[in-house]
Amino acid sequence: MLKIRAAVSGLALLLGLTSCGITIPQDPEGTLKKVSEGVLRVGVSENAQWVQLPPAGEPEGIEPGLVREFADTLDATIEWVPGAEHELADDLRHGELDLAIGGFGADTPWIEEAGITRPYTETTNERGETVKHVMLVPLGENAFLLELDQFLQSQEVAL
Amino acid sequence: MSAAEEAVSTAREKGTREKGTARFGHTELPEEQRRALRKAVKWEWITIVFLALSTFLVYLVLGNSQAMKAAWIEDLLSFLPPISFLVATRVIRRRPSETHPYGYHRAVGVAHLVAAVALVVMGAYLIVDSGIGLITAEHPTIGAVTLLGNTFWLGWLMVLAMLLTAGPPVVLGIIKMKLAKTLHDKVLYADADMNKADWMTALSAAVGVLGIGVGLWWADSVAALLISTSILRDGIKNLRGAVGGLTDTRARTYDDSRPDPVGERIDSYLRSLSWVREARSRVRDEGHVFHVESFVVPRKWPRATLRRLEKARDACVEMDWKVQDMVIVPVAELPEEFLPGLATSGSEIP
Repeated sequence: MLKIRAAVSGLALLLGLTSCGITIPQDPEGTLKKVSEGVLRVGVSENAQWVQLPPAGEPEGIEPGLVREFADTLDATIEWVPGAEHELADDLRHGELDLAIGGFGADTPWIEEAGITRPYTETTNERGETVKHVMLVPLGENAFLLELDQFLQSQEVAL
Repeated sequence: MSAAEEAVSTAREKGTREKGTARFGHTELPEEQRRALRKAVKWEWITIVFLALSTFLVYLVLGNSQAMKAAWIEDLLSFLPPISFLVATRVIRRRPSETHPYGYHRAVGVAHLVAAVALVVMGAYLIVDSGIGLITAEHPTIGAVTLLGNTFWLGWLMVLAMLLTAGPPVVLGIIKMKLAKTLHDKVLYADADMNKADWMTALSAAVGVLGIGVGLWWADSVAALLISTSILRDGIKNLRGAVGGLTDTRARTYDDSRPDPVGERIDSYLRSLSWVREARSRVRDEGHVFHVESFVVPRKWPRATLRRLEKARDACVEMDWKVQDMVIVPVAELPEEFLPGLATSGSEIP
C-alpha cells in the first residue's frame, strides 16, 4: 500500500511540476543552460571529411560546420578541444566537454562514457555496410541532447 | 493374454478414447471445474497474446532507462506462468500408468518451480544491476525520437507505453484468480497474483522516466530497484509454494492461506460412522488433486466389513472432486509415525 501511495503521489508531483512550466526533459547538470549564451566546449577528433584539423586555424569539415550552426542557435561561443577519441570520451564523462565529434558511428564503443545523438545521416563504408553518423554528448544531459537532436534532425547534410 | 493384462489394455483403450474429455489423470472433472478449466485455458492464451504485444511495444521504446528495462524483463518473465499452466494442463490429463502409478499431477509442481526459480534469479540480478547504477551515479541518457516528422523526447513514449500496459493485466489477474480457486490451481493463482500487481510495476517505471525528465537521474534507478524487489518477492513466495508442494506439505487451500478443509471433513465423516472408533487422515497435494490416506480404528461391533470400508471410501470420494486417490487403512491403533502431532492434539493439527 505504501508503494502505491508513493507511486501515485510521485506521479502527481511530477505532473504538477510540468504544469508549473518546468520543461521536460531537464539536465541534471544543467548543460543546456550553461552553454546558452555561454561557451560550448566541443571535442574534435580528426576523421576524413567529417572532422578536419588544419595545422593552423579552426576545425573544418561536415561536423564542425553543423556544430557552428548549432552554436549559433544557442548564441554560444565554441571552444574547440582536439584529442583522440578515448580522451574525448573520458572528458565527456568527467564533465569537461559538452559535445564530441569525430565521424562517430551509432555502433561507437563509447556508450559507457557518453550519450549518443540520433543518427543524423547515413553513409556506406568500403565494405558496403551502412554507417549511421552520430555525435557524443555527456551522459544523462537530456535537455541538451534533445535540443541537439532536434537541430540535427532538421538539417539536410550535404555529403 | 491373462485377465490382468486384458484389464490393463482395456483401460488403456478407454484412456485414449477419452483423451478429449476434461480430466485430471483419472479424476473426471465435475461440470463446474470443466467449465473453469476451459475458461482458464482461454484466458491464459489471451494473456500470452497480450504479453506478446506489450513486450514488443515496450521493447520499441526501451531506451536507456533501467526502470524500463526492469519492467520489460518482468513482462518477459510473465510469459512463464501461463506457458507452464498450459503445458501442465496437457501433461496431467494423462492417466496414471505402470511407470507413473500416481498420475502426472506433479507436473504442475515442476512447472511452478521452474517459473519461481526464473523469478528469483532475474529479481536478484536486476537488484544488483540497478543498485550498481545507483552507487556509480549513472546518469541515464534518454534522447529524442522522430515520429511522423516530429522530433521529441523518447521519455514521453516510454511513459505512454507504460500507462497503456498498466491496466489490462489487472483485469486478467482478477478473472484468473476466480478460476484458480475453482480449479485449485496454484500456478494459475501465482500467475493471477502477479498480473494483479503488474500496474505498480508500470507506474513505477513511468515515475522513474518522468523523474529523469525533471532532471533527477537517480529516480530511474530507484524505480528499477522497487520493480526488481517486487520480482524477487514474487519469486521467493512462489518458490516457497512450489517447494512446499513438491515436498509433500500438508494440503492447503489454492492460495496457501490455510490447511484445506477437506481433510478435516473426511476425518469427521469417518468418525461419525457406527463401526469406526477413531479416524485420522494425512492429505498431500499432488497438484489439483489430493492423495489421501485415512487410518481408521474399527470397533469390535459393528465389524469393519469390506463392504463398509468400500462404502466409506466411495462417500469420501463423492465429497470433493479433488479426492480420488484415496486409501482407507484399518489399523489397531492410529500410527503416530505416519500422523505426526497425534499425541499433542485431539483431531486438528494446530
